[in-house]
Amino acid sequence: MNSLETAPGAHAGWIVVKFGGTSVSTRPRWDTICRIARDWHAQGKRVLIVVSALSGITDKLKTIAEARGDRDKREAVRAEILDRHEAMFAELGLSDRATLQYWLDRLTALSQDSRAENAELPWQAEVLALGEQLSSTLGVAYLNTLGLPAHWLDARRHLLAQALPNQTAWGTYLSASVPTAPDLALAAKLAGEGEVFISQGFMARNAGGETVILGRGGSDTSAAYFGALLKAEKVEIWTDVAGMFSANPRIVPSARLLSRLDYEEAQEIATTGAKVLHPRCLNPVREAQVPLVVRDTNRPELAGTEIGASILAAAPSVKAVSERRGITLISMESIGMWQQVGFLADVFARFKHHGLSIDLISSAETNVTVSLDPSENLVNSDVLSALAADLAEVCRVKVIAPCTAVTLVGRGMRSLLPRLASVLAEFDLLRVHLVSQSSNNLNLTIVVDEAAADGLVPTLHAALIKAEALRAEDPAVFGPAWSELYADRLAPPAPPWWRQRREELLQLAQQQGPCYVYDLASVRARARALRGLLAPDRWFYALKANSHDEVLRCIAAEGLGLECVSLAELERAAQFVDSSRLLFTPNFAPRDEYAAAFARGARVTLDNLHPLQHWGETFRGRDIILRVDLGSGRGHHDKVRTGGAGSKFGLSLDQLDEFHALARGLDLAVVGLHAHLGSGILDAGHWREVYAQLAALAQRFGRIEAINIGGGLGVPARPGDAPLDLAALDAFLCEIKTAYPQFQLWLEPGRYLVAEAGVLLARVTQTKRKGEYRYVGVDTGMNSLIRPALYEAWHEIVNLSRCDEPATTLYQVVGPICESGDVLGTNRRLPACQDGDVLLIAQAGAYGATMASHYNLRAPATECVV
Amino acid sequence: MPLSDPRQSSAFRFVRADYAEGEARLVYAFDHGPELVERIVFPDAPELPLERRQAFAQALKLLHLIAGVSYYKAGVPAQILVENGPLDATTAQLLQALYLHGLGEFAYQNKLDLREHIHFPHAGLHEPVPALGLPARSLVPIGGGKDSLVTVELLKQAGESATAAWVGNSPLIAACVVQTGLPGLNISRQLAPELFEYNKAGAWNGHIPVTAINSAILAVAAVLYGYDSIVFSNERSASSATLEYAGFAVNHQWSKGWEFEQSLAAWLRSHVAADLNYCSLLRPLSELAVTRLFARESRYDGVFSSCNRNFRILGPRPADRWCGQCPKCHFVFLALAPFLPKPRLLGIFGRNLLDDESQMQGFDALMEFREHKPFECVGEGRESRAAMFALSQRPEWREDAVVARFVATVLPQLERAELALEPLLQPSAVHGLPPRLGAIADAFR
Repeated sequence: MNSLETAPGAHAGWIVVKFGGTSVSTRPRWDTICRIARDWHAQGKRVLIVVSALSGITDKLKTIAEARGDRDKREAVRAEILDRHEAMFAELGLSDRATLQYWLDRLTALSQDSRAENAELPWQAEVLALGEQLSSTLGVAYLNTLGLPAHWLDARRHLLAQALPNQTAWGTYLSASVPTAPDLALAAKLAGEGEVFISQGFMARNAGGETVILGRGGSDTSAAYFGALLKAEKVEIWTDVAGMFSANPRIVPSARLLSRLDYEEAQEIATTGAKVLHPRCLNPVREAQVPLVVRDTNRPELAGTEIGASILAAAPSVKAVSERRGITLISMESIGMWQQVGFLADVFARFKHHGLSIDLISSAETNVTVSLDPSENLVNSDVLSALAADLAEVCRVKVIAPCTAVTLVGRGMRSLLPRLASVLAEFDLLRVHLVSQSSNNLNLTIVVDEAAADGLVPTLHAALIKAEALRAEDPAVFGPAWSELYADRLAPPAPPWWRQRREELLQLAQQQGPCYVYDLASVRARARALRGLLAPDRWFYALKANSHDEVLRCIAAEGLGLECVSLAELERAAQFVDSSRLLFTPNFAPRDEYAAAFARGARVTLDNLHPLQHWGETFRGRDIILRVDLGSGRGHHDKVRTGGAGSKFGLSLDQLDEFHALARGLDLAVVGLHAHLGSGILDAGHWREVYAQLAALAQRFGRIEAINIGGGLGVPARPGDAPLDLAALDAFLCEIKTAYPQFQLWLEPGRYLVAEAGVLLARVTQTKRKGEYRYVGVDTGMNSLIRPALYEAWHEIVNLSRCDEPATTLYQVVGPICESGDVLGTNRRLPACQDGDVLLIAQAGAYGATMASHYNLRAPATECVV
Repeated sequence: MPLSDPRQSSAFRFVRADYAEGEARLVYAFDHGPELVERIVFPDAPELPLERRQAFAQALKLLHLIAGVSYYKAGVPAQILVENGPLDATTAQLLQALYLHGLGEFAYQNKLDLREHIHFPHAGLHEPVPALGLPARSLVPIGGGKDSLVTVELLKQAGESATAAWVGNSPLIAACVVQTGLPGLNISRQLAPELFEYNKAGAWNGHIPVTAINSAILAVAAVLYGYDSIVFSNERSASSATLEYAGFAVNHQWSKGWEFEQSLAAWLRSHVAADLNYCSLLRPLSELAVTRLFARESRYDGVFSSCNRNFRILGPRPADRWCGQCPKCHFVFLALAPFLPKPRLLGIFGRNLLDDESQMQGFDALMEFREHKPFECVGEGRESRAAMFALSQRPEWREDAVVARFVATVLPQLERAELALEPLLQPSAVHGLPPRLGAIADAFR
């Protein structure tokens, strides 16, 4: 302590900053490193910079390390590494190459070393360490040319690895661990040597003084070790993303940045799937109570994710949902007696013997099921076979794979259970193999068939927010959505049409009472956007979404056909398009509707055997389209509600042969195949899937002309939801079309064309306060717009009379219907509402007026177009 | 104007075939209906050397005759007319057999007897042609499935100069070709659009011998680009019949069989070039022997697919490549299972087909248990039974639904002695490989 106090600048705290491969691979990136280090230094801090190897170099070194007798390969890769560093040396404009040459010579010596033939582990460690030794050498030289005096610090001098019990020789050299505790004497000693240092990630020394490697996530772990040793004020991991997110942003673009996590939560998230931080690096900083921050090198203005001791008084919340694929479950059924002594010990000893580490465990009286994470070893060796053979000596073994483990993470998970009811409902129809709630109360893990897990995480993430189990609105924990931070490539969404027409709409609402207003220009724009796609041959608008005459006229004028589901719809549609543009796709319709549709010349879709079995003459000699249910065979369709045995739509694939036979008997030609996936889908990949499946199926028919892949094109509801990428959709469709050019492609969107074109206007009747809840009532509700009650649909709501006033009050927006479900929106922050204010409910152009009723004998909203 | 039903026509005409600047045009017609023109494009086609022109004309003529099967089958008229001269007896014989057997499954499905219809007129004999001095290198057709990839790996090991060839625009096959590391040759083929119109008018439809068409396309390519060998990947089991119908053996994969290989190889030697080899490297092997070889190399795990339903589309997920429902998926899964670590196999397919009760019937058909072998290119029933038996002896497999049910229900009815895997892995000596490649086959033994 004394020495620390007497050292010059002794009170200056340490900041450890770590930069990965892409951050050290170009000169501009090194300029960024210099700026960050300089900023801290200017704030009076001592800075230790930990770097990875240049991008791709560690893989090349690994090739050398594993090439064994292949001398030519070693030599070729050595030359590549040399060239890469020469190029970097030139790019950085450095002149004194003596130190760099030292390491390059070492590379040459090591790659020609006789130990290469047997790939001896100590030699491999020395080879692998070279990447960071080279990059840190270049970095020191460059920072000094920029006028920031930086010192090269050999990581091996300070990090002493310790062998773990049961560790293999491979582990001691290539996956080493370093026990660390704050060492103030070392901090003081270094403080005497300088103020800015660059050291190497990924390596340490062992008790014998040999070089060892830290294994995966090594550089982050090095930074954490140094942070702990120096008892740093902070460890910053600079990477290419702003931090940890509430889900993998690649599959959930609306995932929220986690602003603040405690060590244990972060550890759990890193362990269960997040790739941004390796779980190994959290323990050292937790033990030393050093905060660790993840930040984006390209976006230094973002605060990132700060990981520290637990937050005071935060309400329990799910912080993240993640998935791990390729999980293998081993289910072991005891064949001995009930309460067999030592069964678990027998079983676990065998896992230990085969070097397999168990993750999840679930047990019953005579069964224990455990999970194994995917590993190279498991996939490419016979270890599982050998394990199963050994286990079979003491139990019946069943291997269940491939599985996906979906994990919800958050402190106090057990207290969140009541909020999870609707979230867990998403597992309906999935095969759940195992549920595990961690004993530290930080996670809840559910293991399902991998084939059924596609799309599950996005669905769960949305459900968690909807159920307020993930309190996305709590700024103490959650930051912006990933799509808000990084989707700036996409044009910012245009302001909705109704913003510019506010006065007109206010007037309408005052004159007409509750009313729907449709903007035909918006409908037209959407229709043109769809018609601009290359792959589809024909579009049919599903008029059940909105059958207002002016809307139909407008859509018909844009060249779309009309898709009808009842005779009445067909009759209305026939007023706007000729019979060649009529598509009739009913479900459980009576016989005479089919006859009438044929008489009108409409294309008719069938989705059942019954009409052919019982009303054959109606169909004899006709051309029809067959609607099939693709749901049964493909798990990820099960949860979309128009697939699977639980759905009333579509012909089951196992009845295809029977359908064929009936059709042949009636000289009926199946000229089209149709399936509809579900609704509100924003991921363009879904249609690729259904198109590919239908096209493959169509090859089993002789006369298919068209594939109708349905609709369901989603419209984003909440801010942060990325809109459907039409260009991506088109690209997917074109890909399939190229493979099956013989079939026309049809689509039948509904909501996509009209949702945003329509708004519902309603006037405030009364406001009410009950406990902590504030209600604002309007003069129409579920009798006009039933989607919130029926589907829990989310519609944006604004107080059109007070657009410019600050939104100060959290309201429940309700209608006048005597039904507790008559809620248009929950927890909406609006300006204080007054009697007579006009509220606008947005995106109400689809399934609004067409689903309206006279419930309570209240007339629904009227309709008009602008 | 809509086309008339080709089933009402009285003659099928081979009108003409020509070639210019990399494009072959094959022309057919029903009676005096519109000309049906199929186009086959050979990319970056070189100028044809003078000494190969005669050979090229012969190969093109054969392609015209073989590719006609796609059109002929739409109407199956009673008369076949070859307009640019009569065929010699050998050629007529080759086509007679191909049309009759290659359309065997088609005839069975449509309840037709083709023996009354297929008569190729012929007159005279043909003089054998000399060798052309074609370069010693191989064209290897790639289908996206395991077999051709095994061939590629064997040829690479043997140091053979080879080009991976494929017909059509399957992204999946293209991805496999990239993985092989070999140079690629992608030939495109466009059917006459009128064929789709004929389908609407009521044409017959069904299975055609597509391997024969691809073989003829590659024979043209071999002469054009200069290859002395066309190396297919058909194995021993391709020769066995699927079922018997009206006293006639029906084999789904007849044009992958040994009989067709021999007759086409002989025809190419006598009519095109004495030094042009047409052969199948895997001919001595059973399907199981091929899957065992495939297991050695994992580089294709994430790109290959033998599934006939999903095979045109390349997707990142296993379900994009393997439908999991068809006989090919069932068979390849079963045949790989004894030789691959279970997690690797399940990773390839994305699911465990043997632990899915709804797939029982499909596996029964492969084992020829209560069902006939499916109309697909799958191994012999005894291979499926042996593979299933091997799994039933393995603790990591034997509790899976389909395997457990095999043990309980099927196994008691089988003769144990016939279930051994090892005898089925033994190669036979039968193959038509040229000496240069024969050593590879010798090494199987």
